[in-house]
Amino acid sequence: MSDRSGSDGPRTGPDPEASSAPLSVFCGKGGVGKTTLSLGLGLALARAGRRTLVVTSHPLPELALSISLDGLDQQDPASAERLFVIYIDPRQVLAEVVGAQIPSRGIAKRVLESRIYNNLIEIAPGLKEMAFLSRLRDVSHSRTADGGFDHVVWDAPATGHFVEILRVMRKFETYLTGPFAVRGRDLASFFGRADLRLLPVTTLEEMAIDEVLELVERLTDEFRLEPAGIVLNLVSPLLSDAPLPAAAGTGNAAIDIVLERLRVEREHFRRVRDAVRADCHPVPRVRGQASDLVLLDRLAESLRPLGGVGA
Amino acid sequence: MKIVVCVGTGGVGKTSVSASLALRAALAGRRALVLTIDPARRLRSALALDTADGQQRVALPDYAGPGELWAALMDVKSVLDRAVRLYAEPRQAEIVLGHPIYQMLITSLSGMQELVAVERLDQAISEGFDVIVIDTAPSRHALEFLDKPEFFNELVSFPLVRLVGRTYKVWSRSPLSRLSGGALDLFRRVESILGPQLVSEVLDFFSVFQTVAEGFAERAQRTMRLLRRAGTTEFCIVAGPSRTARDVSFFWDELTRRRFPVSTLLVNRIWPEVADEVSPQASAQVREALDWYRDISRTQRAACDAVFDEFRDRLRHRQRIFELPRDIDGLPALRGIASQLDLPLGLE
Repeated sequence: MSDRSGSDGPRTGPDPEASSAPLSVFCGKGGVGKTTLSLGLGLALARAGRRTLVVTSHPLPELALSISLDGLDQQDPASAERLFVIYIDPRQVLAEVVGAQIPSRGIAKRVLESRIYNNLIEIAPGLKEMAFLSRLRDVSHSRTADGGFDHVVWDAPATGHFVEILRVMRKFETYLTGPFAVRGRDLASFFGRADLRLLPVTTLEEMAIDEVLELVERLTDEFRLEPAGIVLNLVSPLLSDAPLPAAAGTGNAAIDIVLERLRVEREHFRRVRDAVRADCHPVPRVRGQASDLVLLDRLAESLRPLGGVGA
Repeated sequence: MKIVVCVGTGGVGKTSVSASLALRAALAGRRALVLTIDPARRLRSALALDTADGQQRVALPDYAGPGELWAALMDVKSVLDRAVRLYAEPRQAEIVLGHPIYQMLITSLSGMQELVAVERLDQAISEGFDVIVIDTAPSRHALEFLDKPEFFNELVSFPLVRLVGRTYKVWSRSPLSRLSGGALDLFRRVESILGPQLVSEVLDFFSVFQTVAEGFAERAQRTMRLLRRAGTTEFCIVAGPSRTARDVSFFWDELTRRRFPVSTLLVNRIWPEVADEVSPQASAQVREALDWYRDISRTQRAACDAVFDEFRDRLRHRQRIFELPRDIDGLPALRGIASQLDLPLGLE
């Protein structure tokens, strides 16, 4: 049976021998900086000569509202050539499946515009997740083929939705009818074999930490997946085990507030560090009124170890 | 009655701000309810939501007035289950609640959380609160729910679903004289693309869910009109100190485009200024910490000033709220925020 993934260009089916690119996944609570970190890591990898794809959770015009790589092609054209950013829209993937299954464009168009199709795809359990994974697999699966990538970075959606996607990734049996029936088993084995590097992200504050610890527990208990590391984002430069000056020591209430903040940060840091097996990677908050590109540059420097790029 | 809807991205403190607004109204003598999405552990316990099912009255020590503060978690399952039990016949309700598609609906339909916010608001209004503050999902997409209440109505009004009822399985084998050739062909194609089993399960579900969905859509339309009424509802944009301009522009556009009344901006979690001089004996470590802190605080305050300036004519009520060194861990912290709030929202 031919592979009807509906993706660009003719496909003859996945080549089980092709090695797949490492897939680094930033996951965690909304607002902790996953998107910025994904672009930062993408930039670090591109600068190190790797052809890199960043898959974001924002449609691209909105991505420009969050953080932007504008100016990279002037500043560093070589890296700009190696760094790609896409948004995988499951509805678009499904539309391509429809197009592939219905040769007549007129009829395909009517189906795609029909209310029942549009409403059913929203309701159908796991369908959009399957569509997303199918495309993610397609872009990750071949390192060596023309147009393949050396590394894929996935800016995953917020925890709840991310866990849903992982469930679909595992329980392909549920999706044995419909357009993804053929791909279900293939997807499960692909993601089972893939060099998946899960990087839960948290800031050092209560809610984000609660959520990341729950996520890590669920990853290990439900999915038997170990995080490659925990990213502690937006930390202060004084995060270390060296003792902080005593609060009373400065004789100045306002400054003491600053030190108190740093002390609280350390408590949070210890809580995370003691609760997880994986290594913690603190990423300092970038100072100053930096432009997006300057910010991403500095971030890229501190993220090199996460990409397996020499320090 | 006053409704305040807080919108904004993740991590900006919307839940704390929402709870503080409701607290302030309660302390001014009103019967106030805050509908929260996902409060942190300690805030959850301060609002008596850790063991609760449904809404809880929050004890206000040191307050002896007539006001009341209530809190409820807006969780999709409990709101929908309640709506099903209220509006469907008992036998129908049991079928719906146990149906696998219903279980999926709760967990996987994007925007369900926002959709049930509308339903939950309707339930709250019928309970006679003076002030209702709604915390929304921390997403730029949370506002899409405001386009969606028609969703259920749309689905159930498709002629095929109206026709089928529970006799779908029988019907599929008999001639379909009432359906036009074009519609049937379309349906068959969708069925072959998505899989007949899936489609039949979904249609089966909706044939039973139909009356609930219709009631849902009708209430949603009524609530939407209320949400658009400027005297009753106020949308409040809550932003953090980073990406402030972008987020505020985004939400202002999204809200005004949908004709929702918005004239309030709260920029939360700003690091307060520390202007004091450090003593000459201070260690290099302290100097570095202070320097780092000041740099960030200055940048944040400047960004906030710039946004306030840019939106001066469009967002009449603008306020900055300063961050405390510790997380919001209970009522005292909420009172701290509430006392900083000076917004003429008509809540008092």
